Amino acid sequence: MAHPQIAAFARLAKGTDTPARTLAGQETKLSRTMHDIRYSASRDEIFVANPFAQAILAFRGDVDGNQPPVRIIQGPKTHLIEADTLEIDDVNKEIIVPVRDEILVFPMEGNGDVAPIRIVHAPKNGWRPGGGVAVDPVHNLLITDGVSADSANRGERGEEGRGRNSILIFDRTANGDAEPLRVIRGPHTGLKGIRQMQVYPKGGWIVVAHIADGAIPEPQGAFVGVWSINDSGDVPPRWKIDAKTANGLKKPRGVALNPKNKELIVSDMRLNAVLTYSLPEMF
Amino acid sequence: MANANREHAGLMMMVPLPVLTSLVASLLLAGPMKHDVPKPGRPQLVSVTPMPVAMSGEMCEMVPASTSTILQAALQQDRAALAAAARPAARKEADQSTVLINRLPLRVIRDPRPTFSAVAVDNIRDEIILQDENTFQIMVYDRKANTPLRAAFTEPKRVIGGVETKVEFNCAIYVDPQTGDIYAVNNDTIDTMTVFSRNARGNVRPDRELHTPHRTYSISVDENTQELYLTVQHPPQVVVYRKQASGNEKPLRSLVGNQTHLEDPHGIAVDPKHGLMFVANYGNVAYYRQNREGTSGGRPTVEPGTGKYFPPSITVYPLKANGDVAPVQIISGPKTRLNWPSHIFVDPEHQELFVANDTDHSVLVFRTTDSGDVAPIRVLKGDKTGLKNPVGVFLDTKNDELAVASMGNHSATYYPRTANGDVAPLRTIRSAPPGTPALQIGNPGAVAYDSKRDQILVPN
Repeated sequence: MAHPQIAAFARLAKGTDTPARTLAGQETKLSRTMHDIRYSASRDEIFVANPFAQAILAFRGDVDGNQPPVRIIQGPKTHLIEADTLEIDDVNKEIIVPVRDEILVFPMEGNGDVAPIRIVHAPKNGWRPGGGVAVDPVHNLLITDGVSADSANRGERGEEGRGRNSILIFDRTANGDAEPLRVIRGPHTGLKGIRQMQVYPKGGWIVVAHIADGAIPEPQGAFVGVWSINDSGDVPPRWKIDAKTANGLKKPRGVALNPKNKELIVSDMRLNAVLTYSLPEMF
Repeated sequence: MANANREHAGLMMMVPLPVLTSLVASLLLAGPMKHDVPKPGRPQLVSVTPMPVAMSGEMCEMVPASTSTILQAALQQDRAALAAAARPAARKEADQSTVLINRLPLRVIRDPRPTFSAVAVDNIRDEIILQDENTFQIMVYDRKANTPLRAAFTEPKRVIGGVETKVEFNCAIYVDPQTGDIYAVNNDTIDTMTVFSRNARGNVRPDRELHTPHRTYSISVDENTQELYLTVQHPPQVVVYRKQASGNEKPLRSLVGNQTHLEDPHGIAVDPKHGLMFVANYGNVAYYRQNREGTSGGRPTVEPGTGKYFPPSITVYPLKANGDVAPVQIISGPKTRLNWPSHIFVDPEHQELFVANDTDHSVLVFRTTDSGDVAPIRVLKGDKTGLKNPVGVFLDTKNDELAVASMGNHSATYYPRTANGDVAPLRTIRSAPPGTPALQIGNPGAVAYDSKRDQILVPN
């Protein structure tokens, strides 16, 4: 991508409506490869990662233009490496960052060279996080996508994260060696390439942007799917929006929820577009 | 009466349940009421005061609980009860039911017009070739095309695009001066450089493909030695291949390591005449593992927790640099005005370096001998230039013209080589009506909802 930016559009924007504000430029310390973004309502802040500089950036909620972050987590104590996704827990005030073989948890107000307050990793030949991550502070769950470590070591993960075929559900406070409470995986799930994830705690739903294979321009099997936090094993999603012309969707990569308006927001990397669906069934 | 009903519905939404119950009880006790005849001495509804805005509408939502300290505390205290109430039923594997949602989105934010990320000029065949990173096309125009002010856009002569082409997030371009072959670099999703013959058009397979490192950004070619140079953003490196390389062929050599000062490298330009290689850097970096010579199983790998930010820079190396080689010159500092420097182009004859300076909306020109915190010798910038987020730059030495691709306004513009200041372009090729801003949504890997401002946050 030739031009990094974070654009903020009015919820009701459509077509070629221009963004209300954009964040871009040297002062922002952004890079491309922002594969996640989170908004904290409690702090009115925006969180993103810069994988190349191994940094977690927090911006004021109303940031606009070429403005710097208000806090940066970066340094030797952080364990950060190629972090391009993250989640925030607005209730417990934590930032959750999957990196390579670990999931790092930082205090939300962390600034500078901050050590993680928890590091979750797999026992030998266990799992490996893929990058999708979501927290359910009501049911106390940490949810990530991943692959088994042995298949990852065989190279099945691939350059673009292919093989991210499992939803792993942990206790939110897991620390150190941890096994998931439940795993959703198998041919009936349709999962092989998970990207951004969200949780809707009120309903107990896990929402997944499933790209199938990011290295194929228009892959088969892409969709947005919704599972229950209590699902386990080889079970299909409760609801599914397939990537197809009739749904206006090609290659979903990001998902966000707007419960107030019962809307599901999807970013599509093949269309370079943002699509908003009404999904009253889920809310 | 209709108005009264509407008021009542609003009341139901805004008033907490105990208050509402009390009100309803009072109304029931009051018995039937005639609308215009208040009965003295009996309880009656005399006015409605809406609850504060902050409490309206979202009272039943659990998700934004953290916006309120009180509600957050309640959430934490009653988590078990809430969890039990909110928990959907578990399913067994035998339950294979899925509700397929078939519906169009309510709204779509999308820029359907081409947005130019790189430019090359074929001055032998008089064509300009532009990378469209928005709809994933390579667009070929007559070199002298100039979109009239009243025209919506100029129709290209040829377009290469579609799933067969493997063109996606196509961020750099090179045109072989002898054959007219088009080399297209795809940034990070396809990890493939595709080569098309000059007359390719439509949804066609590339004539040649080279598997490139993840996050390859720019290209420059030394025609004397038939070598092509590619920058890789992260882990930062310059990889050099045979120009005719294909498939999974390995690079001839790599500039890689902690001495290189490669920091999220973007544009690259080679100067065989003076034996130099120039690289533009954003300034994001993490350091390689020292004891593995920067590689793990043949792939470069970096050390956790070594991330740093540096000011943007232009770093200069010997053309044949191989391994962990320090730059011989570094252009960096506040006088340089560098601000996300993107593609660059070197003019060996005049010993000048042109820099597409994305977020400064400018093109900077330095002497190729410059080093340190130096001001550019020329700056092309201002309202008349038509530059908006310029990321692509090409110097047509035959016609003594500078071509620039702007991501921000659907345009490519030409200037005299020596243009300086707020200079209007000689010609403009537009893919949209004049003044149409480009949304510049590109590879939107995620999305978030800002509930305070009712806005959608979209990162590239």
